[in-house]
Amino acid sequence: MQKNKGAEPVKKKITIGIPRAMLYYRYEVLWKNFFSILGADCVISEPTNKEIIKSGTAAAIDEACLCTKIYLGHVKSLIGKCDYILIPRISNFGIKRNMCTKFEALYDIACNTFRKTSQKFLTYNVDVIEDCPEENAFINMGIELGFSKKEALNAYKEAKKGESESLKNHLKANEGLYKKNGLKILIVAHSYVAMDSYIGKPVTDFLKKLGTVPIMADVVDRKDALKRSAKVSPTLKWELSRELVGSIDEHIDKIDGMVLMSAFPCGPDSMVDEMIIRKFRGKPILNITLDDQDGTAGLETRLESFVDILRFKGGTL
Amino acid sequence: MNGVKKVSFPSFTHYNYAFKYFMENGVGARYIMPPQMTLRTLDRGTKASPDYVCTPFKTTLGSMMDCLEAGADTIFMSMGLCRLGYYGELQEQILRDMGYQFDFVNLSEYSTGKRRDYIKALKRLNPRMSVAKMMLVLAETVKLVEQLDEAEAMYYKNCGFEKVKGSCKTAIKRYHTAVETATTGRELEAAYKKFKKEFNEIELDKPENPLKVGVVGEFLTAQDAFSNLDVEQKLADMGVEVYRYLNATSRMFHYKGKNLQVETSEYCKYDMGPTSTINIWAAKNYASHSFDGIVHIKSAGCTPEIDIMPVLHNISEDYKIPVLYLTYDSQTSDTGLATRLEAFYDMISMRKKVL
Repeated sequence: MQKNKGAEPVKKKITIGIPRAMLYYRYEVLWKNFFSILGADCVISEPTNKEIIKSGTAAAIDEACLCTKIYLGHVKSLIGKCDYILIPRISNFGIKRNMCTKFEALYDIACNTFRKTSQKFLTYNVDVIEDCPEENAFINMGIELGFSKKEALNAYKEAKKGESESLKNHLKANEGLYKKNGLKILIVAHSYVAMDSYIGKPVTDFLKKLGTVPIMADVVDRKDALKRSAKVSPTLKWELSRELVGSIDEHIDKIDGMVLMSAFPCGPDSMVDEMIIRKFRGKPILNITLDDQDGTAGLETRLESFVDILRFKGGTL
Repeated sequence: MNGVKKVSFPSFTHYNYAFKYFMENGVGARYIMPPQMTLRTLDRGTKASPDYVCTPFKTTLGSMMDCLEAGADTIFMSMGLCRLGYYGELQEQILRDMGYQFDFVNLSEYSTGKRRDYIKALKRLNPRMSVAKMMLVLAETVKLVEQLDEAEAMYYKNCGFEKVKGSCKTAIKRYHTAVETATTGRELEAAYKKFKKEFNEIELDKPENPLKVGVVGEFLTAQDAFSNLDVEQKLADMGVEVYRYLNATSRMFHYKGKNLQVETSEYCKYDMGPTSTINIWAAKNYASHSFDGIVHIKSAGCTPEIDIMPVLHNISEDYKIPVLYLTYDSQTSDTGLATRLEAFYDMISMRKKVL
C-alpha cells in the first residue's frame, strides 16, 4: 500500500468504503468518527438486499456462514467506489475474550477472494494477547493512510469518546424498553444478524407487528455482562457471545420469552445457543436459524405460535 | 484408592497411547483406554449434540460415553483455539443432563497461561502426584508423540508400495502394542528403534517417481482415521505417497507460526485461525515441491478451515495443482468417498503422464 507523502496542502480526500455487515453494527460510530475527524470520506454500502446476498453467495465458499456471504456481497458492491475498503482483523481483547475465528480471517478472505480486482483494502489488527490493543491498531491504520501518529491518536481518542457517548444513550433507551407494558421478548442474536435489513430485521419487525416488544440482548453494559457470563459459563470465550449470555442473566426476570436467532451455520452460536437452552430454564425459548431462503411464511407461523404461547402463559389469550 | 482417578481422554488416533503413558507413569492415575470408535459412537454422539456443531464435537462426545461405559470415572478434556475450547463445558453439561456421573477435568478452565494452573488440573487426577516425576515423564511423552508421528509419516509414505500386503500395517501395529505396554522411557526408545529397523526391512516395489499427495485440513478430522474414513489409507492403497505435515508434533511442539508466516505472506497478512497458517504453509510447500495433488480434509462447518479455502483456491491456481476438498459430517458414506478418491486419483495420474 502506498503512503501519501507528508501533509501537502492540496490533498485529495480519501474515500473509505465500509461494508454494512458484520462488525459495522458494533463499530459504526467509532469508524465514522475516526475517519471524519481525519478528513476522510466514508461510503457505506447499501442495506442488505437480495442482489447483495446473491453476489456474496457466488463469491464465498458455499459452506461459509450466511453472514460471511452477506459480508462478501457488501465488499463486492463497494469495489471500485472508494480508495480503500475497511476490513478489520480482530482476534481478541485478552484471554477468554476472543472473537469468532471468522474475524481473524475476514481480511485475508476478502483479499484472496477479490485478488483479481485492483481494489485496495484497509485493515487494522486488534490482538491483545499478541500485544496489539485497539489504540495501537488505529494509530497504525492512520499512519498507513498518511497521517501522523499524533493526528491518528487524537482522532482515535475523539472517536472513542463519541462511541462511548452513543453507547450510553443507546443503552439508556434500551433499558427503558424493559419497563414497557406488553410482552417483552429478548432477541438473543449478534447485532449483525438482528440488525441486518434482509435476515434479522424482518423478524423483529414482525414481532412488533404482533404487538410485542422485542428487545436486543446485545445492547447491554458490556463490562457487567462479561462478569455475569463468567459465572454462568466459565469457559465461554467469545466476546460477543459472552455479552449476550451476560445480558440474558441480567434481564431474565424482566422478560416474557427469548428468541435465539442465528445465521446458518454460525460456529459459536451452534454451541452457545445449546448452552443457553440448557442453563436458562423456565422461560420459553424460540430457536431460529436463518438462511438465505426467501419464503417468510414458515418463519411467521413459528413466531405467531410462539407469541401465542407467551400470551397463553400470561393469561392474556 | 487415595483419590486416584480412572481417567479417559476421548479417542484421538495414536495419541491415545501417549495419553496413557503420561497419565499412568507421570500423573500416577489409572488410564482407561478409550474403546475403538464405531458407528455407534458417532450415532450416540450425534443424537446428543446440537444440530450444526462441527463433527469432532459429536465423535468426542460419543467417545466420552464409550469411556464412561468402559469404566472411567473421570474425563479429561483438552482446551483449544477454536470451538474446541468450548467443547468441554458443553459436553459436560450434556452428559450430566443425560444422567452420567463422573468427574470432569476441563483444561479450558485452567488455561490462564500459567504453568501452575495446569498442575492444579493434573492434581485433581492424583492428589499425591509428584510434579518432578510428572515433568520428567512429560518430556518422555513429547518424545513419544514425535516418534508416533514420525512412524505414521513413514507408514503412509510407503504402505502403498509394499510387496507383501499388510507387512507395513503389521509393523506399525506391533509398534503401537509395544508403546501401549511400555512403562519407561527406555522401553519407548527400544520399541521405536525396533520398529524403524523392522520397517526399513520391508520390501517395497516403488516406482522411481511415484504419485505424491499432500494432506492438509482440520486438526482432528485430518488425523483421525475413524473420523476421515481412513482416507489416507485409501489413497495410499491406490499407489500414492501420502504426506501430512499437520500433526501434534508440528502444530504443537515444533510450531512457530510467525516463522511459517514469512513463507505464506504473499497469500495472507495475518494468522487466520488455529491451523490456518500451518495448512497454508504446507499446501504451498507441497505445491512448490511438485506434488501431484492436495487433499483438504475438514468436518462440516469447521470455520477456520472454510476460511482458508479461498487461499487454497489461489495456491491451486498459481501452482496448477489440483485440490480435492472433502467435508465430513456424521452421514458421510464410505462409497461416496471412494468414488471421489478414485476420480481424483485417475485425474492426477493422467496429468502426471501427460505433463
